[in-house]
Amino acid sequence: MQKLQNKNNNLLISILLILPAFSIYLILLLYPTGQSVYLSFFKWNGIPQVPMKYIGLNNFVNVFKNPYFWVAMRNSIYFMIGGFGVLMPIAFGLALIITGKYKYKNFFRTIFFMPVILPITVTGLIWSYVLEPNWGLVNSLFNLNINWLGQPNLNIWVVVLVNEWIYAGFNMLIFASGIVAIDETLYEAATIDGASGRDKLFYITLPLCKESFKIFSVLCVTGCLKHFDLVYVMTRGGPNHVSEMPATLLYSEAFQYRNFGNASAISVIILVLSLIASIILNRYLNQEDL
Amino acid sequence: MMVTKQENMDFNNSSTHKRVDVSVIVYVIAFLWAFIILYPLFVTLMCSFKTNNEIFGKMFSLPTQWVWQNYVDALVDAKMGRALFNSLYIAALSTLITIVLGSMASYVLARQKYKFITPIYLLFIVGVMLPVHATIIPINRIATYIGGSNSHWFLILVYTAFQLPQAVFLITGFMKSISHELDEAATIDGCSMIGVLFRIIIPVSMPIISTAAILAFIFAYGELIFSVILLSDISKFTVPRALFYFTGLHTVRMGPVFASIVVGALPMVIIYTFLNQRIQAGMVAGAIKG
Repeated sequence: MQKLQNKNNNLLISILLILPAFSIYLILLLYPTGQSVYLSFFKWNGIPQVPMKYIGLNNFVNVFKNPYFWVAMRNSIYFMIGGFGVLMPIAFGLALIITGKYKYKNFFRTIFFMPVILPITVTGLIWSYVLEPNWGLVNSLFNLNINWLGQPNLNIWVVVLVNEWIYAGFNMLIFASGIVAIDETLYEAATIDGASGRDKLFYITLPLCKESFKIFSVLCVTGCLKHFDLVYVMTRGGPNHVSEMPATLLYSEAFQYRNFGNASAISVIILVLSLIASIILNRYLNQEDL
Repeated sequence: MMVTKQENMDFNNSSTHKRVDVSVIVYVIAFLWAFIILYPLFVTLMCSFKTNNEIFGKMFSLPTQWVWQNYVDALVDAKMGRALFNSLYIAALSTLITIVLGSMASYVLARQKYKFITPIYLLFIVGVMLPVHATIIPINRIATYIGGSNSHWFLILVYTAFQLPQAVFLITGFMKSISHELDEAATIDGCSMIGVLFRIIIPVSMPIISTAAILAFIFAYGELIFSVILLSDISKFTVPRALFYFTGLHTVRMGPVFASIVVGALPMVIIYTFLNQRIQAGMVAGAIKG
């Protein structure tokens, strides 16, 4: 009897322990995500008193017809290209430095990682002023006259590079954790066999860091759709929408053009693409381990 | 195997010679990257003490007279003092709620075997993959309906909801690895379920709880878009929201703007100075998710 009562007690306590966390999560993340899907089938201007009108898949049609949406998708791909082409080599190179037998490596590690902890708004503003066309640091140091953040086709790449400036130190640690996990005796054996430093890098370090490269790839691909803050602070998606990202476009559709249906459709596209990306990439990651 | 002795010796010679060269190159690269990281931050710090005349076109120069008034203007006139206070308490409260509720739920998810445990745990895992941008419109809608616009408590709960899945994922994973003998022994000694949680499980789980706390705090302190959507009253602005106010704004005096940037970055820089190892490890663990 006493035992049964304890059991029931424990069930009640378990429910009470889960309930607060679960309800906050349910009401403010799970339910809103579902509601985005629901709203994407309606035309609505965001004003509570105005009724919503069901229009089927028309919002998606509008979004796919919107040239700025494709600009945003292209810019997401630029972030991915920058990730693999610029961020990955820099981060891997920095990882080699901080795992090698060099002096001051703890100092370097601390400095390299630092941009990640700054609020993105801070970093974005700092770089906006450093790159300011009339009096900014870069133009006045090198006597240039380039409108880094105002010139179409250039500004999105500038933002991509600032993004690599922020995250190089962070990804450095992901590669470093792969490098330090490599058995030291492999290098010793290779040295005895007469392998050069370059041989060791290409035949030991790189292949055995495969896991880190996979983690980097997952973060890079799933992350490239979600960039918002940096672009929004540095260019606001402009001029004339050339530097839009899916999330900045969502924001302007909703809060500038009051087109909440189209904005919800963009939410759903971001949602579906990032779920597909993380499920496929994670499956691929785990399969390779077996 | 086919290498002759002579070649082998040459090879060794060249490799010792190379090692010297390589380390010089490594130091040059390391100092160069450290410079690229630190120089924009240093210039920003210097500009925060300058007048307009010394900023425009001469961002790289040191201030000839140190204008401390910039900081007074930033903290009082630009209301950065208020924003700093708002951000710190919003970040602190949402972090506290995240780890307290997250640990409670994780304890049940990791230790009990009811039928509803697995589905709920899986729902939390899904939350780790959900892009928060997909909730912008519904969150805005919920805020309008329940009077959460322009209120700090709603923002705190939103941040909590966004951080809970990750916290639950990390903490549950850790708690599963704690030996069951510990809590069985405590139960035999008459410890209740709650007693086991607070006397045994939480103290043992402190490393992962502090990781979850670090991630939640950094997120909440730097979050921009939801503060832009939800806060309209200047006295309620958080640091990123207040700094965002400066973008695209042609202010008469730039000194106080730079001072505001420094003020906004300062808390994170101070925290990072003391906890850099923990923060680095925590952020990598958060990205790799276990």
